[in-house]
Amino acid sequence: MLEARLEQASILKKVVEAIKDLVQDCNFDCNDSGIALQAMDNSHVALVSMLLRSDAFSPFRCDRNIALGINLGSLTKVLRACQTDDILTLKAEDAPDVVNLVFENKESDRISEYDIKLMDIDQEHLGIPETEYAATVTMPAAEFQRICRDLNAISESVSIECTKEGVTFKCSGDIGSGSIQLRGHSDVEKPENNVDIDLTEPVSLTFSLKYLVNFCKASGLSAQVKLCLSNEVPLLVEYSLQDNSNSYLRFYLAPKIGDEE
Amino acid sequence: MPRTRSSKSTKPPSNEANTTSDTTPSQSTSTSSALPPSVANPPKLFVLPKSASHHRSRIVTLENPANGTPSRYLFCPDSGFYEFTRLAAPKRQPRSWLLTTENEHNVQKNMKEEEETGEDEGRGERGDGGLGSAYITRSPDLFVATPIDTLFLLLPALAPKSPKQAKQHFLSFDDHMDALTSSNRHLRALLAQHPFLRAKMEKRMAACCDTVDAGEEPMYRLSTEKLLVILVKKAERICKAGFPKSMEDQFVKPALEMPVMSVRREETSISIVSTTTTSAADEQDTIAPIVVAEAAESQSSTTTTTTTTTTTPTATPSSDSQTTALTTPEDDPPPLTTPPSIPPLLRLRTAITYLLNAYIPLTLHTPLLALLSSSPNLPSFTPLDTHLATLSKLKAQAAALRSISDNMSRKRGYDDDDEEKMAEREEKKRKREEEERRRKSESRGVRQLKKVDTSGMKKLSAFFTKVPAKK
Repeated sequence: MLEARLEQASILKKVVEAIKDLVQDCNFDCNDSGIALQAMDNSHVALVSMLLRSDAFSPFRCDRNIALGINLGSLTKVLRACQTDDILTLKAEDAPDVVNLVFENKESDRISEYDIKLMDIDQEHLGIPETEYAATVTMPAAEFQRICRDLNAISESVSIECTKEGVTFKCSGDIGSGSIQLRGHSDVEKPENNVDIDLTEPVSLTFSLKYLVNFCKASGLSAQVKLCLSNEVPLLVEYSLQDNSNSYLRFYLAPKIGDEE
Repeated sequence: MPRTRSSKSTKPPSNEANTTSDTTPSQSTSTSSALPPSVANPPKLFVLPKSASHHRSRIVTLENPANGTPSRYLFCPDSGFYEFTRLAAPKRQPRSWLLTTENEHNVQKNMKEEEETGEDEGRGERGDGGLGSAYITRSPDLFVATPIDTLFLLLPALAPKSPKQAKQHFLSFDDHMDALTSSNRHLRALLAQHPFLRAKMEKRMAACCDTVDAGEEPMYRLSTEKLLVILVKKAERICKAGFPKSMEDQFVKPALEMPVMSVRREETSISIVSTTTTSAADEQDTIAPIVVAEAAESQSSTTTTTTTTTTTPTATPSSDSQTTALTTPEDDPPPLTTPPSIPPLLRLRTAITYLLNAYIPLTLHTPLLALLSSSPNLPSFTPLDTHLATLSKLKAQAAALRSISDNMSRKRGYDDDDEEKMAEREEKKRKREEEERRRKSESRGVRQLKKVDTSGMKKLSAFFTKVPAKK
């Protein structure tokens, strides 16, 4: 039996909104530590991993490990019926056919309830070790989104270079080329505008911009985004889901190696 | 109790020429006392002969005479060897067995006395009766033990090792047995345990071999003629009871099916008369020529019919009229009916083919088949061959006609749809539909990402190790 009450329904809404363009169906793995999700895109070059720890919910109860195989399109449809400040409760039996979602509106005493049919999803599960990255860049999520969007207009791929001077996003396409450089910067008034670069060795990697643009759909989840890079290792783009909690939404993207134009 | 079993025989042994008849090497299984969630090596269900004395019977591994692979056989000291035939449910209709005991006492009694009336199968659990000790096996395979002629098991030793090997030598029985037991350890053990088995085997060997006496000891060499006679006798016995319907449907009917020709109705009415004569004229031993000759003669002349019927087999004038009847319709449209002599011949050949494929070493196939077509005192298959040849010609014609007239609806009308193909097609269709559904449900973003050039990007599984999905 699973019962998880999430005060901010918007978190789940935004998560699903962000990943539904990357994967179609995925398993929400529920256990007593929380709700986790891992899925790859069709080409298996990108991976999304979400963890909503049990302390993000109040209360959270999960007696057995349950995998809720959900079509994200269906989930999106149902979550559209949920208002941003609603309280969301997820419920499921131990061997469920459906997952039950209840939206409570605090002001109007309106309770809406939906069931989504579950599906059996056979997914590969990858074990991702905690890695020490050569470079970690923390920056405003909106800034990262803007960079990706702007460069996407010029080229297919972007090279991200981290040196001790700062981080540079470079691209070149048919019409020409572009580059954006950011330096470390701290804003006392507005800490969400900080740019923080933590570097142990210089890194330069190339990534597909379409994928990065896709990841940026999660920008609404958090003010800051963390980019972790190491040479010849997938890029990690992390959005934290609640301030000061360990819940996160992470994207991994394989770098472009070898033949570049 | 060493294995799950039931001794109610569902089929008479003569039906061993069944459709799915590979004797798979079956593990002798053991059941544990506790009921685990899923056993790695689940018990198998056997139908053992009533007559076999179960206490002394053994499952042994012997060389399969047809292909030389080690296969399981049941050996009973009283009644000889049995082979296992696996009856499996069709792939498209997966089934399982639920094995229950009517009551535990009954089963134990069955074990001891080999008397059984019901269909209850015991799992041999010393637990409570009823469903509590029931067992579900996932595979619906049923292994039926049917007697096998010891002769077949001897063949690997007797057959030439390669098709090119020249004349074989006469060898003593012991030499032959040495050759046989060198690869069959179990057989050696059996021979040591049961001395009378030796005599039995020697008798069977004598039945299919030429013998010479060299001093005290008789020497044996395989005689293909004798073996063929035995085979044909066996095949005839299979045919005598008639084929079961499924076999009739698979082997006999489709082979003899007349293609539907929509033309030349008028001509065919003539040909019916003439062709019965052609086919019957070939069949010298049957009664048919007498009747036909009679008819032919009554057409040509006005001799009395009573005398001809008695004398026709030797009478020259009637055979003359036969040959004329035979030559004239040669160019006429072929027959639209199957002569009555054909189906039995086809059945016989099907049976012989089956026996060859199932029991006879490959090296013996060609000499046996050659002998079969040339041997005078065995049934001749020439009428069957000619009939089948005309049929295939007809069918090709019909197919050609059909492909002109209606190639839309009968696209696959000609090749026979066996179950496998149907299943495959259905599977494909299902996959396609699923794919379609997925494509429809996928969001715009997912579709967009499909167009992304991912060259130079490794799959993530190249970076991260796969772990089995947590449940």
